[in-house]
Amino acid sequence: MLLSGVDRNRRLLTAAAGFLLAAVMGLVLIIGFRLATQIRGNVGTLQRASELETYPSVVSQQLTALRERLDTLEYTGHVHAELAASVHGFDRDFAALEREHDLDPSAMHAATALWHSYTPVLTPVLAYHGEPYSDTATNSSLSRSGRVFYAHVRRAELFAQANAAALHRQLAAVSASLQARTAAAASRLRWLLSGGVLAVLLLGLAAAYLQLARARGERAAREAQEQTRDILATVREGFFLLDADYRIGAVWSKALTHMFGRENFAGLSFEELLRDRVSPETLATATKFIKLLWGERAHENLMKSINPLGQLEVSMDNGRGGKETRYLQFDFHRVTGPKGVKHVLCAVGDITSSVLLSRELHEAQENAHSQLDMMVSMLHSDPLQIGTFLDSAAAGLKHINAILKEPARSHGEFSKKLAGLARELHAMKGEASALNLMSIAQRVHHLEDMVAELKGRSELTGNDFLPIVLKLDELLAHLRGVREMTLRLTALRDNSPSPEATLSTPALRIGSSGPEELAATLQSLARKLAQDHGKDFSLTVNGLADCPRSYLPTVKDCLIQMLRNSAVHGIEPDEVRRAGAKSAGGQVRVDFRRAGSGYELLFEDDGAGLSPETLKEAAVRKNIITAEQAAQLDNRAALALIFKPGFSTRAEVSMDAGRGTGMDVVAKAVYGLGGKIGVSTNPGRFTRFKIALPAASESAVA
Amino acid sequence: MLREEELKTFVDGTTRYFEVAAQQPATIGSPYLLEGEPAMHDYTGMINITGKREGVVYFTAPRAMLTVLLMKMQESDFSHESMRDLVGEVANTISGNARRDFGHDFVISVPSVFAGEKPQISQPAGARAFVIPIHWRSHSAKLVVSLT
Amino acid sequence: MDTAKDTSARRPVKLLIVDDSNIVRRRIERSQQFDDLEVVGTAANGIEALELARKTDPDLVTMDLTMPQMDGIECITQLVKLKPEVRILVISALSDKATAVEAMERGANGFLDKPFTDRQLNEAIAELMY
Repeated sequence: MLLSGVDRNRRLLTAAAGFLLAAVMGLVLIIGFRLATQIRGNVGTLQRASELETYPSVVSQQLTALRERLDTLEYTGHVHAELAASVHGFDRDFAALEREHDLDPSAMHAATALWHSYTPVLTPVLAYHGEPYSDTATNSSLSRSGRVFYAHVRRAELFAQANAAALHRQLAAVSASLQARTAAAASRLRWLLSGGVLAVLLLGLAAAYLQLARARGERAAREAQEQTRDILATVREGFFLLDADYRIGAVWSKALTHMFGRENFAGLSFEELLRDRVSPETLATATKFIKLLWGERAHENLMKSINPLGQLEVSMDNGRGGKETRYLQFDFHRVTGPKGVKHVLCAVGDITSSVLLSRELHEAQENAHSQLDMMVSMLHSDPLQIGTFLDSAAAGLKHINAILKEPARSHGEFSKKLAGLARELHAMKGEASALNLMSIAQRVHHLEDMVAELKGRSELTGNDFLPIVLKLDELLAHLRGVREMTLRLTALRDNSPSPEATLSTPALRIGSSGPEELAATLQSLARKLAQDHGKDFSLTVNGLADCPRSYLPTVKDCLIQMLRNSAVHGIEPDEVRRAGAKSAGGQVRVDFRRAGSGYELLFEDDGAGLSPETLKEAAVRKNIITAEQAAQLDNRAALALIFKPGFSTRAEVSMDAGRGTGMDVVAKAVYGLGGKIGVSTNPGRFTRFKIALPAASESAVA
Repeated sequence: MLREEELKTFVDGTTRYFEVAAQQPATIGSPYLLEGEPAMHDYTGMINITGKREGVVYFTAPRAMLTVLLMKMQESDFSHESMRDLVGEVANTISGNARRDFGHDFVISVPSVFAGEKPQISQPAGARAFVIPIHWRSHSAKLVVSLT
Repeated sequence: MDTAKDTSARRPVKLLIVDDSNIVRRRIERSQQFDDLEVVGTAANGIEALELARKTDPDLVTMDLTMPQMDGIECITQLVKLKPEVRILVISALSDKATAVEAMERGANGFLDKPFTDRQLNEAIAELMY
C-alpha cells in the first residue's frame, strides 16, 4: 500500500523528538553538574569566609589579652603563640579565599588592602622573641625589650580595635557576595532543573502525541487499504495498471477474473491477457495505441475514438454453466507522477447492454427507413401489382417451405434442396426489384447469399438450414407488414374524393393483375435496369393482351428474367455499341401471339449475343461439364448450356444477375406449363428466345 | 422474434439429451415453418415460456423411438409412465439449457407431458412455429419452437 | 460556449485546414467559435498543406487522412519534421483503427471522428490549444 508522505513525516518527527529529548537531558545534566560543583565550592568558601569574619575580632581580642597580660606581668607565651596561629591561619585562609573566583572583587580588594595594612603593626609583635619581664626577687617589671614589645602590642591592639569592624564588614561583604552568587547558582540550578523537567515533559508529550498520531495514521492507512481492497473486489469494471513493458501491476479489480477467466494477473503481459480474444492485428494496433499514451504528443481525450479495443466481443461464462457473448470496452488513462507518465490505467467495462440497445435502435431505425422507402415505392406503384407480387411471393415462400419440409438426413438430400431454394428466391427477387420493392429485394438477396454460401460446403446438415428458416420467417413477417401497408394505402386511395381514380383502374380483382399491368411492370423494370447498369435501351411489348390469365404469372417470371439478362449481359455499353457501328440505344422486343392451337412468346435483344465458346468455358469453370465434354459440344448444344442450373457467365454477384440462376428458372417454368424453349443468337447482333406454350385449359383461364 | 442462438440452444438441448442418455447423438433434419395444425407424435413434453419473451417449445416423439431410447438407457420398464417420464426429461433438459443461456429473460414453466390426447398449445400470437425434425437411429421426432 | 475562454491577451491561434472536401473545409471554418482563432489557410492535399505550413506558420492543423497526391499520414510525418511544435488534429472518417493509430504515432496530437458536431470540434480545439 501507499506509504503516505504524512506517515513518513510523522516518523521523522518522532525521531527528532527523541533526539531532542536526549540532547536536553544531556545539557541539563552537564549544566546542572557544573552548577552543583560550583555551589559545593561556594559553600566551602563561604564557610572559610565566615570563619575569616571572626578573625579580626579574635586577633583584636588576643592582642588585648596579650596587652593585659603584659600589664599584669603575666605569662604571655601561649597568648603570643595563639595570636601567631590566628594570624597565620588568617593569612592561610585569606590566601585560599583570594584564589576563589566567585568573589565580589571590590569587597575582596578592600579586605585584602585592609588586611595587608595589619601587617606592619603585627609583624613586630609576632617577631618578638625573648623575655618581656625582668625579674627581681621582689619585683617584676617589664624588661627593656618588654617595653618595646608592649608598645608594639599596644599599637597593634589599638590598630586592630580600630580596624576590626571595618575588616569584619569587608569580609562580611565578601561573604555576602559569595552567598548571593551561591544563591544565584542555586536558583539557576533550580530553574535549570525545572526547565529540564518541563522540556522533558513537553518532549515526552510531543513524542506520545506523535506516537499516537502514527498509530492513528497506521490505522487509517490500514483502513484505507482495506477500503481499496473492498472497492477492487466489488467494482464491476476491471481495473489494472500497465507499466512501460505492458505488464499488469500487483493490484487489480476482481471483475477481471470473470471477464478473463483467471485469478492471478500480477506481471501478466497485456498480450497474454488478450491473445486468445483478439486478432493479432488488433492486438498490435492496441499495443501501439497504448504506447501513444507514454509519449507526450497525444491528447488522451482526443484519441478515444481510435481505441481499437473500444468494443471487444468476447465469449464469457454466464454463471450458469453456459457461454454467452458479451462486449467489453477497454479505456486507457495516463497515470502521471512528478517524472511524467508512471502507468497506464486500464478500465475494462462490460457494455453489452448498451451495445445491444444501440444495435436495436439501429435496427429499428433501419426498419423505419426501409418502411418509409417501401411506402414511397408503393405510392409509386399500382397496389394491384403489389398485390399480385405479394400473392406470388407467398406462393414462392410456401414452395420454399415445402422444399425445406422434404425430409433430409444426408448431405445429398440437403444439397438437393439448395437449387430449388435458389430458383425460387431468384425469381422472387426479380419481381421485387421490378416493382422497386427494395426492402423485400434486399432481404431475398440476403437469403440467396446464405443459400449460395451453403452450396460451397462439402458437408451439409440440418443445422446449416436453421439460419435460413429463421430468415424465411423474418421475410414472411416483412411481407405481412407490406401487405398490411398495401391494404391501408388502397383504403386511402379508395376513400379519396376523385371518382376517376377508381374508375381508371381497369380491373379491381384483388390478388391478380392483367396483361396491361404486366406491360407496365416490364417497362418500369426496363427503366430501372437501364439506370442501374448504365445501359441505354428501349423495350417494346406487343400482344400480351392475348396471353391467357393462367399463363400470366409464368410469362411474367420468364420475361423479367430474360429482361434482366439482356440488361446485364446482352445490351452492350454505349462505347461498345458505337464501336460496333450499332444504333446508340439498344432494342428489346417482346412479342406474344397465338401460334397454332397454342401460343408463342418471342424475346429478342440486339445486344452482344451469345458466344458458344464463352458459354463452354463458363460451364467448365462452374463444373457443370468437364473440359472433355465441352470439346464435344456443338454450337447448338453449347447454347443450351444457359438453361442448366448453376450456370452464370458473370464473375461478380449483383442484385440483378450473375447468381447462376435465371434462365434455368425460365426453362423450368416453361416446362412446367408443358411448353418448350429455344435460343438462337448471332454474336455481336442479337439473342432471341422462342417459347412455345400449349393451349391453356379452361379451368386455368378462369 | 426468435434469434438463431436461441433456436440453437433448444436444438442443442435436445440432441445432447440423446447423446448423454444413449451415448448416440441425434441429428437434426431440415427445419421448416409450421403451417396449420401442429403434427403430434405419441408423446409430447412441453415447456411454456413467459416473461420478456413468450412462447412454447415442445418435443414430440413416437412410441417406437422412445422404446429404443429406453432400451439404450438400460431401462426395462417400457410402460406408458416411463414414456411420459422420458419426454418430460427431454423437455426438462431443453428448459435447463435455455435457463443457462438466457437466464432472466425467460421464465420457464415446469414441463407438461401429453400422451395421445390433443395437447393444449397456447401458441403466442404473431409468432410462427419452427419445426426441427430430430433424427435418431431410424426414428424421427420433432422439436417445435414458437417464440415471440 | 464556454470553451471560448477569455484569451484576448494572447496572440491569435493560426489554424490551417487540410481536407480534400470543400464542404468539410467550409464546415470546419464555419464551426469554430474562437474569437482569437484565425484560419490562415486551407489545403486540399498534403503537398499544398506543407507549402502553406511553410508560408503561414500555423499553430494548429486539422488534417484529413485520405487525400489525393499526398495522404494525411505522409503529410503529418513531414509536417512534424518541419514544425515540431505544431499541433495536429486528425479529422477523418477512417474506420480502420490501425491507420488512425499510425497517424498518432507519426505525431498527430488528437483524432476526431467524422462526422463531428460543432461542439466536438470546438472541444477538441480547446483541448489542444487552450
